[in-house]
Amino acid sequence: MINYAYYPGCVAQESGKELDNSTRFIAKKLGINLIDMPEASCCGGGVVDGFDHNLKLYINGRTLALAEKLGYDILTVCNTCTLTLSEVNEELINNPESLEKTNAYLSKIGLKYSGTVKVKHLLYIIRDEIGLDKLKQAVTYTLDGVKVAPFYGCHILRPSSVVKFDDVENPSGFEELIKALGAEPVSYVRRTKCCGFQTILVNEVTSTSLAGNAIYEAQQNKADVMVTPCPLCHLSLDTYQGVAAMNINKKLSLPVLHLPQLIGVALGGSYAEMGFSRHNISFRAVMSKIKQNKLK
Amino acid sequence: MEFTVKSYRFNPEIDEKPYYKEYVLNDFPGMTVLNALMKVKAEIDGTLSFRRSCRSAICGSCAMKINGITKLACKTQVSAEIEKFGVIKVDPLGNMPIIRDLIVDQEVFFDKIKEIKPYLLGKTDHIDDDFKALKEGEKIKQPVYYKTEFQNLTGNNDTPNCILCECCYSECGGVVANSKYLGPAALAKLYRYSEDPRDNDKNGSRLVNGSKSAGMFDCVHCQACEEFCPKGISPVKVIVRMHEKAIKNSITFSKGAKHIIGIARSIQETGRLDEIKVAVDSVGISGILNDLPVAIGAGLKGKMPPLRLKLIKDMEDIRVAFKDLNLEEKHD
Repeated sequence: MINYAYYPGCVAQESGKELDNSTRFIAKKLGINLIDMPEASCCGGGVVDGFDHNLKLYINGRTLALAEKLGYDILTVCNTCTLTLSEVNEELINNPESLEKTNAYLSKIGLKYSGTVKVKHLLYIIRDEIGLDKLKQAVTYTLDGVKVAPFYGCHILRPSSVVKFDDVENPSGFEELIKALGAEPVSYVRRTKCCGFQTILVNEVTSTSLAGNAIYEAQQNKADVMVTPCPLCHLSLDTYQGVAAMNINKKLSLPVLHLPQLIGVALGGSYAEMGFSRHNISFRAVMSKIKQNKLK
Repeated sequence: MEFTVKSYRFNPEIDEKPYYKEYVLNDFPGMTVLNALMKVKAEIDGTLSFRRSCRSAICGSCAMKINGITKLACKTQVSAEIEKFGVIKVDPLGNMPIIRDLIVDQEVFFDKIKEIKPYLLGKTDHIDDDFKALKEGEKIKQPVYYKTEFQNLTGNNDTPNCILCECCYSECGGVVANSKYLGPAALAKLYRYSEDPRDNDKNGSRLVNGSKSAGMFDCVHCQACEEFCPKGISPVKVIVRMHEKAIKNSITFSKGAKHIIGIARSIQETGRLDEIKVAVDSVGISGILNDLPVAIGAGLKGKMPPLRLKLIKDMEDIRVAFKDLNLEEKHD
């Protein structure tokens, strides 16, 4: 078992509970021990920096300090949480002044941060630390014949000076994982582009057009399903798919899964266990195809 | 080493639609993509059109998409691209209309640069603004610089180093979504002037105008501008600094500012991001009613977030952070 301080982020605990459930499901199967941090706060949703930079440092410095106290690295399942925690970690490690003022705050609440924690996204923990061979061995339903469009999103790749998991110009970690499950990754240009979520409440029409065009392109490339490592992208791509279709004036109907849901299906998770009924676009047709591929 | 340049070609005067043409070349040590294109033009096909000038990554003329990513052709090594992609595929910049081959119409980009008034305002200059953020006689809070700091006068983050190459604009997710969006280069320039203590913008009108629709709050935070700037500038970081400055100066009329404040308020109250409250704070009840079909759809699927969130454990810690930073009441 590998231990991680688990930081699900807010959406996975609220409207996207299926992400949290499927993460716990696959963690058990892959020997990942998720240590909960009930004290951890919201990272600020990628925008709290625009309210007050020090607030971003304090609340995320606190989360890093909580993980350091536990003695584990942080496992995230949200791109934006990954970037925000990583940015703060970088600043605290490289800027003594920021570390000093953050620790002045942390000392008031009985914590201290010395910069030893690493922030890692589930996708790259599976690739780099669990290993794709182990993942392959755990597969009970191969995804053979399923065409999967990986939608990386932004904050797991950019800026590459902070999130250093993959080649920002031509990432491959997601595709490798999809292949390990027996599925076929779909190649399309918008796999690394923005889903528009950050402005969905500011300008819905323009924001959803980004998600809509990515879905349309994946559909044109014969994808059966789209998968994302970020619950914010998932909201744009699945919850708002109908709005996106109207805004770009195209017919869209592509199931969109959270990354651990796709893995969970291959590891034997049921429709209910993966929480697929909570999605806007049904995954049932693809799921029944997969259920015929039992290996052992 | 022999390699192939696959170039986007389109001459509206003779071509019905765009196509790609391949040219086979031999490289030499240190060959750049611009060297390759110039070799094509000189030795194989004189009709290939592209902009270029300094060959030293300072004029910004030769920006184009190279294997899908916007780069300066003169700063991009052929060998590295071939190693990664096996080919040099070149396309014109994104987010701008194509004139011919790799040449785009830059007018819209420069119109946006002009729109932010890229010069120091003098005592007699006025920016048209129909919104007065500050009270009569009140001055916008401006950083104070001392003589010794004048070398870094224009704030920081190297925004004055921008060479207007349009790499950021070509990659910007915000412009893809909304062609009217000012874009990263113009906003970085807005920051550069809004931070300059010599600028005579007494009533915060730069930030007021920048907060309007299609301005700084339309940034989608995709980080592409920082990632692909050939001069190491981060427009997105300075856009966020302008968000902070606008909010701290009570320039909060935009949905984007309300959204940010809503998230901060939600964290202050619960330690969490309250999805419903943030939506109401950002777009108001009428905005929520517009989105009713989405909300009902999500609700029927059981995706409705809880109306009342459980506080995080040790919530008092977060209150201490807000108190320490004197942020408790500021956003009300």
